[in-house]
Amino acid sequence: MGMNDNTINKEQTQKRILLATALSFVFFIAYDFLYLQPQQKAVELANQQNAKVIEQKTTTPTTNNAPQIAQTNAPQTAVATNQAPESSAITANIITTIKTNRNIIEIDNLGRINQVTLLDKQYVDEDKNQIKLFNAKQLKPLEMRFSNGNINTEAFKVNMIASASDIDATKSKSVLTLTQKLTNTTVTKVLTFYPDGHYDIDVSTTNQAKFFITPGFRPDVLADMYADHGALLTKNDSTLTIIEDEDMDRGEELIGITMASAFDRYYTSTLYNYNTSMSVSVMMDATESPNMFIHANDGIKLRGYMGPKEYKTLASLDNRLTSVIEYGWFTFIAKPMFQLLQFLHDYVGNWGWTIVLTTVLIKLVLFPLSHKGMKSMNRLKELSPKVKALQEKYKDDKQKSSMHMMELYKKEGANPMGGCLPMVLQIPVFFAIYRVLLNSIELKGAPWMLWIDDLGAMDPYYVLPILMGITMFAQQKITPNTMTDPMQQKMFQLLPVIFTFFFLWFPAGLTLYWFINNLFTISQQYYVNTLFANAKVERHEKHLEEKKHKSSKK
Amino acid sequence: MINKFILKLIQFYQKYLTILSYGSCRYHPTCSSYAKVQFENNNFFKAFYFSTIRILKCNPLFDGGFDYVKIKCPIKDKQQFKKLKFTKIKVKYWKVPVENNYCLILQHNKTWDR
Repeated sequence: MGMNDNTINKEQTQKRILLATALSFVFFIAYDFLYLQPQQKAVELANQQNAKVIEQKTTTPTTNNAPQIAQTNAPQTAVATNQAPESSAITANIITTIKTNRNIIEIDNLGRINQVTLLDKQYVDEDKNQIKLFNAKQLKPLEMRFSNGNINTEAFKVNMIASASDIDATKSKSVLTLTQKLTNTTVTKVLTFYPDGHYDIDVSTTNQAKFFITPGFRPDVLADMYADHGALLTKNDSTLTIIEDEDMDRGEELIGITMASAFDRYYTSTLYNYNTSMSVSVMMDATESPNMFIHANDGIKLRGYMGPKEYKTLASLDNRLTSVIEYGWFTFIAKPMFQLLQFLHDYVGNWGWTIVLTTVLIKLVLFPLSHKGMKSMNRLKELSPKVKALQEKYKDDKQKSSMHMMELYKKEGANPMGGCLPMVLQIPVFFAIYRVLLNSIELKGAPWMLWIDDLGAMDPYYVLPILMGITMFAQQKITPNTMTDPMQQKMFQLLPVIFTFFFLWFPAGLTLYWFINNLFTISQQYYVNTLFANAKVERHEKHLEEKKHKSSKK
Repeated sequence: MINKFILKLIQFYQKYLTILSYGSCRYHPTCSSYAKVQFENNNFFKAFYFSTIRILKCNPLFDGGFDYVKIKCPIKDKQQFKKLKFTKIKVKYWKVPVENNYCLILQHNKTWDR
């Protein structure tokens, strides 16, 4: 192969790489705008329409079916056939209102949670109204279904009697007893509400009437494509099952369950019992989303939580309950990352500064590694004439050139490359911070300073991404490198531009991390550079002095 | 199967993403080439193990330098050489025997073809 062919080929390859990189960035952004966001809207629309369809198809339980089901003892089908008449689900008739320090809970005439309104001042929607967790058209928390079709039909017609209509649980725990007298059984639901907003539930029936109870359909405050939403269950062997919305093809039967959570991005409705595990039927609704039903036989005791997935709140109820917060694939690193951030936040008080401090800490931990790398990298400057000569000599044979380079480093006793590990280590840290910013309610709408009022959203004025780009450019300038191929060098110089472009839409918190990271790398590099410059001057002076000494001796 | 999938990933990395980490590897061959040769010549678990070790060692606390893939390749019966057919072949690797029953694998370079 001729030399000319070779160089042309190389240039074409480089151009292709450049094009591919640019295209992939464009693709990601286009994907976000043209696919994710419209899809989200479409889903919302579909949900509304589906709800309407369900409304029209008011299903009445088939009575002749029921005894057979009771005999075969197949809870799956029992729950499936014994539907709630949907008309009663829509028109809510509130019989009790409970006020705790964190929320207002409404109970309807069938003993279900009709709505939960959050009281903390940070939980407001765009119109400054306090956030309400549930969608009225969906399955309500604490709804009961019976194995026996007759009982099931009757249970949706007979009102529950409440022991009180207004309950104040702000000072101490308060008990509400709901009773429902049916022909063949009496249902007793005892709910204990605590000032911190969680509750205990103890339901029982007489005459061994078997039933199921549900944590309800997930809260419907923020369910989008950026984070999972649906059902999350933990088993007593501490494994985790996630069933995402619109992703079911059939119902599932799960045993040994300790916690069942219906969740959207930031909120959950959870029923749990870590002492006695539960059996749960996960049913598919009209949108192929999960509805969970816990097998209760003729009585069950559970604890429940409905509200934001705050780490501290969940941990105060039960440490194991923190597994309700889910960060996707990177949970194993994102969770410790969040714990570190939370720990620092207790001292700092501002999430933006917490991210800055975390960046500094990570830099400090990696300091010995990076410092050694930088020091040996600076030796590269001294070797550069030799390196250039080698690269010129073997410019058509990359493999040989890199082999001879390695030999040179060995001879000089210095390896100027930083290594693959520091590079690879960046990736999980980066993703962990990304997931924490995306999934932690604590960081939702968390401000830093000046114009950054939401670290989880993009910088509205593009200041941080641009600063990030500038520092990246500066870092490249100040760092010695071995690049000699002009095309490659051009690509390399383009990287800060591409990165800035990409970061424009990233959460501000992530851009902040990268920016601070760059700043510290630059100052570290600058320090090492001056160290070497001084050493060089010293050597030079020493050299001159020796010369002088020698000449004076003569 | 899984090896093929990983090789595709490595290929993708080498083609499009290598510019992000250009000139950082402390070894020859680079970590990605090393992993490629590993997954082409070893089973998944061995290849994964050795590639991971290589990446972990690729930091300023280790010297770096030459580190080729080493595999077991017992020299076969001498009778075999008699059966050799002399046809034109495309060279992909050079297996260089070292110590007893082990070979280093060097990737062939097109510029070496004459």
